[in-house]
Amino acid sequence: MRRTRLAPIAAAAATLLALSACGGGGGKSKGISPTDALDHPLTSSITLWHGYTDVEAKALQTLVDQWNSDHPSGKVNAVFDGGNDSALQKTTAAFVAGNYPDVAYEYGSSTNNLASQSKLVDLTSLVKNTPDFNWNDFFEGERLASTVNGKVVGIPALQDNLALVYNKKLFEQAGVATPTNDWTWQDFRDAARRLTDSAAKQYGWAYVNDGSEDTVWRYVAMLWQGGGQILSSDNKSPAFDSPAGLQALQLLHDMAVTDKSVYLDTGNGDYLNLFNSGKIAMLWTGPWDLSSINSDVDYGVTYLPAPTGGTHQTISGPDVYMLFNHSTAATNTAWQFIKWFTSPEVDLQFSIATGDLPLRQSVTTLPDYQKFLDKYPGDKVFVDNLNNVKNARPNIASYPQISSAIGQAVQAVLLGKADPKSALDSAKSQVEGILAGSG
Amino acid sequence: MTVAVAHRRPPRRVLPSGGRRARRADQLAGWAMASPAVFFIGLFGLVPLVWSFVLSFQHSNFQTSPTWAGLSNYRALTHDPVFWQSVRQTLLYTVLFVPITLIGSLLVAAALNRKIRGITVYRLAVFVPVVTSTVATGVIFGWLLDPNYGVVNSLLEKAGLPAQGFFTSTREALFCIVGMTVWGWLGFGTLIFLAGLQSVPKELLEAAAIDGCTRRRAFWSVQVPQLRPVSAFLVVWLTINALQLFDEVYVTTKGGPLHASTVVVYYLYQQAFQFFHAGYAAAIAYVLFVAILALTLGELWLTRRLDRDRAS
Repeated sequence: MRRTRLAPIAAAAATLLALSACGGGGGKSKGISPTDALDHPLTSSITLWHGYTDVEAKALQTLVDQWNSDHPSGKVNAVFDGGNDSALQKTTAAFVAGNYPDVAYEYGSSTNNLASQSKLVDLTSLVKNTPDFNWNDFFEGERLASTVNGKVVGIPALQDNLALVYNKKLFEQAGVATPTNDWTWQDFRDAARRLTDSAAKQYGWAYVNDGSEDTVWRYVAMLWQGGGQILSSDNKSPAFDSPAGLQALQLLHDMAVTDKSVYLDTGNGDYLNLFNSGKIAMLWTGPWDLSSINSDVDYGVTYLPAPTGGTHQTISGPDVYMLFNHSTAATNTAWQFIKWFTSPEVDLQFSIATGDLPLRQSVTTLPDYQKFLDKYPGDKVFVDNLNNVKNARPNIASYPQISSAIGQAVQAVLLGKADPKSALDSAKSQVEGILAGSG
Repeated sequence: MTVAVAHRRPPRRVLPSGGRRARRADQLAGWAMASPAVFFIGLFGLVPLVWSFVLSFQHSNFQTSPTWAGLSNYRALTHDPVFWQSVRQTLLYTVLFVPITLIGSLLVAAALNRKIRGITVYRLAVFVPVVTSTVATGVIFGWLLDPNYGVVNSLLEKAGLPAQGFFTSTREALFCIVGMTVWGWLGFGTLIFLAGLQSVPKELLEAAAIDGCTRRRAFWSVQVPQLRPVSAFLVVWLTINALQLFDEVYVTTKGGPLHASTVVVYYLYQQAFQFFHAGYAAAIAYVLFVAILALTLGELWLTRRLDRDRAS
């Protein structure tokens, strides 16, 4: 509320406070030996926190009810935690209060923060030594996102990736050939330019330009396509200041500043409304947006375009279920439930109900998989596109800061405030400072 | 005569010890009634205050045990360019927001301080932005000021003026936030001033009118000086709120573009809840706390001095 601007600062202070206590308290807990939890009879009920709403919440509850009726001595209580955006803050605070959940849905970007939490169940040997769990069946990007410093800290919960979504009608009207899976950056840039009509305020492409991770991850996909990396393989120094990094920023500059064919979304998410009203021809977006595209908009989906000599790589932002230890019995139930919940058959049921992408490769070979494709035709390309996920963003605690530095560089280029080279150099020196610990 | 004497001499207190006991019982009852409030204010006010002070001397990421940092958080602040940028921008914002809101609400209050038909409706209309949620305000202003599809730019273009970037422009973003917050706070200032204006004694205005004073003159020379305590309160209140600006930035620009609208509390939030530098954020909070305390005391001292000068 307006009159209480004191509120956020007080709340922030109180949270800072409350949270700082957990650091001290956390150290005393006894670690659990993961294998203790293996295949014991279930004797404890557990709580699962999630931020699902609407269709997804309903699908989750249906499956949980099914589990509960089969496992009366190991029931799962699914609790809505107020939304996935604040899941990290909520879980962190819950450790202080001592009412933390046994299982929590967390963003992939939160894993490195929670990885140092002493209540966290280390799943490394569990996932690798449980034969029927089949860890390698999960798509590579998910496994990378669930792993921090070689330690498996979560089980994949949601999978997505970026693909090119386009409005067929606008392409037809402009007489431009529709995108294909083989498009190059040049094809993409030309099409965006031809689909731009400044008088009608129509743009070829939209780019989220608030400097947040939303700005960064599209750039990171382009960086990987050209063979670049964000950091060196030991995560000790920046690596995005490479020809690949420069060429990606150059494309953004050429399209946004030279061609002016890009609608710069300030982060309020208007791009989807504008896509719906035919003002934007192409988006780089994920399956979560498909359900919000109006039924009268005829759209197509293809892989992202590739730079000359590069690949069609994309980026994914997988989310995970993290397990926290209350007792061996509770952790046993948590593990058994998650194992069941992410098994191919159950996962497919969830996908069919929600339109979320399958978590495992083997799901695509199940007989009922066709039902999923029939129900969500746009998802086909996104599933195939999972094979174009070859890299993951570094899972290190300073990543949010690194992302912020890169975000500033991308934003400066898009706004025409800096040329690609100097923006890249400035981001590089900032990231060097962050990695050296002085950021 | 005897009556006068009796008046001059205070009546001797009967049963002094019983009185004291009664007073102590009163005190106990008072404390007992106040204790829930004292407890909660202490718990949620003072304890965090002390605790975050300690935190500001630590390195903490909220997850693992904090380590002792000494003064290094404060030292790092001195050469953090983004922090200093946020300080400059917060001050610029305050210097614009406080006077504009103050003068604006005075004028609106003057306009609303009359008996015309439907005055309640006008007063209500002015006050509505105050009770509108900041998120709603942010979304609406975002739409109005959208550089491509916003109403404001299309009006500008119709008038033959160049379209502006508003929230997306590094030069304009902070000023847009000033505009948006002035709009949101005007009703609050107006409410306070209106109450102040209505408590100005009618006799003063009548006396001025008899002396041949115009209405305009009466406003500036009679009513406005009477509003001094109310204005002093508003200045302090608005300044504190300006220095703690957060919500409006969070819902519109998120501190951007390129830190152009990053203010101190937003930067604090970013450090604490995006980068998980809890100790560093606590240090920022303490610097801000001291600055607000100093500024508020300064303003109060200045008001008292002005009052004394006027009285003498």
